[in-house]
Amino acid sequence: MSKKSYLFAEDSFFLSRRKFIAIGAAFAAALALPVGWFSSKLERRNEYIKARTEGLYKDDAIAKLRVSHANPAVEKYYKEFGGQPLGHLSHDLLHTHFVDRTKLS
Amino acid sequence: MTATTYQPGEIQGLIKIDASKCKGCDACKKFCPTNAIEGASGAAHSIDQDKCVGCAQCLVNCPFNAIEETHSAIETVIKKLADKNITVVAIPAPSVRVAIGEEFGLGTGSLVTGKMYGAMNKAGFRIFDCNFAADLTIMEEGSEFIHRLHATVKGDPNAGALPQFTSCCPGWVRYLETNYPSLLPNLSTAKSPQQMAGTVAKTYGAKIYDMEPEKIFTVSVMPCTAKKVEASRPEFNDAWKYHKEQGSRAAEYPDVDAVLTTRELAKLFKMLDIDLASTPEYKGDSLFSEYTGAGTIFGVTGGVMEAALRTAYKVLTGSEMAKLEFEPVRGLKGVKEASVTLFDNELSQNVTVNVAVVHDMGNNIEPVLRDVMAGTSKYHFIEVMNCAGGCINGGGQPIEGTGSSWLGNI
Repeated sequence: MSKKSYLFAEDSFFLSRRKFIAIGAAFAAALALPVGWFSSKLERRNEYIKARTEGLYKDDAIAKLRVSHANPAVEKYYKEFGGQPLGHLSHDLLHTHFVDRTKLS
Repeated sequence: MTATTYQPGEIQGLIKIDASKCKGCDACKKFCPTNAIEGASGAAHSIDQDKCVGCAQCLVNCPFNAIEETHSAIETVIKKLADKNITVVAIPAPSVRVAIGEEFGLGTGSLVTGKMYGAMNKAGFRIFDCNFAADLTIMEEGSEFIHRLHATVKGDPNAGALPQFTSCCPGWVRYLETNYPSLLPNLSTAKSPQQMAGTVAKTYGAKIYDMEPEKIFTVSVMPCTAKKVEASRPEFNDAWKYHKEQGSRAAEYPDVDAVLTTRELAKLFKMLDIDLASTPEYKGDSLFSEYTGAGTIFGVTGGVMEAALRTAYKVLTGSEMAKLEFEPVRGLKGVKEASVTLFDNELSQNVTVNVAVVHDMGNNIEPVLRDVMAGTSKYHFIEVMNCAGGCINGGGQPIEGTGSSWLGNI
């Protein structure tokens, strides 16, 4: 009984059980999302991106000062403590280095 | 000794797919910038943590709520707030103020800085606005750019690499570190505003607060999940190193002790029975809540570039830009570019600066980096943000601008 001695027409469509389940699952996955989900998702996403963007541009427009170098608190920081941009203390406190992540183990 | 893309101490596996909820619909794969999501259609997916940059775009866009974060500092922060010996400092990013209102029934994009400060004050936080640190970032990163530009024009063989990339976005930084290490010299060495804020709060801030630095607990509030990974980088303990050099013997502490997302801050307020919507506005409690319009636009794509140009223009020409709104870097085009020609006082000549702004990184960055690798890039300064639209659409923001999941809306 170990050797198959029949030929069925169905054999040409033969799928392994595993493959049959995978195809069925992919089909179910495709059905899980309504048609057009992705494009409508992007549309709605761009709507809230635009609303929040407007919020921040409004915060800029209503600000009394709109350029970083005019921030009196920043000026005070450098005068009382930090020295100057790119100075010694800036190097120690406000700058960093990066890591080649292909060489970590 | 297996290869990893994490340094010791860094948060790993921040974003996780719940296999029991995953339908294998592949929606998340469309939003992943690094193709880190594995699994056949219909089978439960999983995330390759070595590729993952922690941005959680998959999480906010999953239609089945099947993706979650594995780290939350809410409980720790609540405990610290209750400890009267500790000064708990909140560091809110620009994008939080235009999104947290959504969790309290206010309209999408409502600007609620004063109410957010008020709710933070009620909860017991001191306020160190990350926008102040964004202004500081411009001073450092802008100066660095001018330094590299001048050295290059003068033919200095040790001039820093151009184009200079911005370094504020932790997803982008981790992506470059993992995939293009040869381009790391192009990254600005300026820390991100979050990390500058943490360090300053525990050094200069310790003087302002008149508090020992080890008793200051810094909580950044971010529209971003990748900021949690950034804060856990082992090198970010510069305030501790600074005080150690000054003779302090305190045990090691990080610059940023905890990171909450916008969603988590909303949850914390709700746990403490604070309704942000009905909270009166509050102005802040120190110079650290003073910020400019340039600092606040850091949260949108093009904002860092626009802020940097405003300051670079003043430094190079001696006068302010006539019109501060710089339209070419605004909007949602994948790669935006602009040229600015100005008279450079120090060089006594006209210089033309070419800039580019990239967002939605997974879909737009590759061609830009290929040009830089080949030495054919025409740009001098490139801003990169991982998320489409910038931080305002970060993976830590309220979901869908309504505070509920996609399924909850149908």
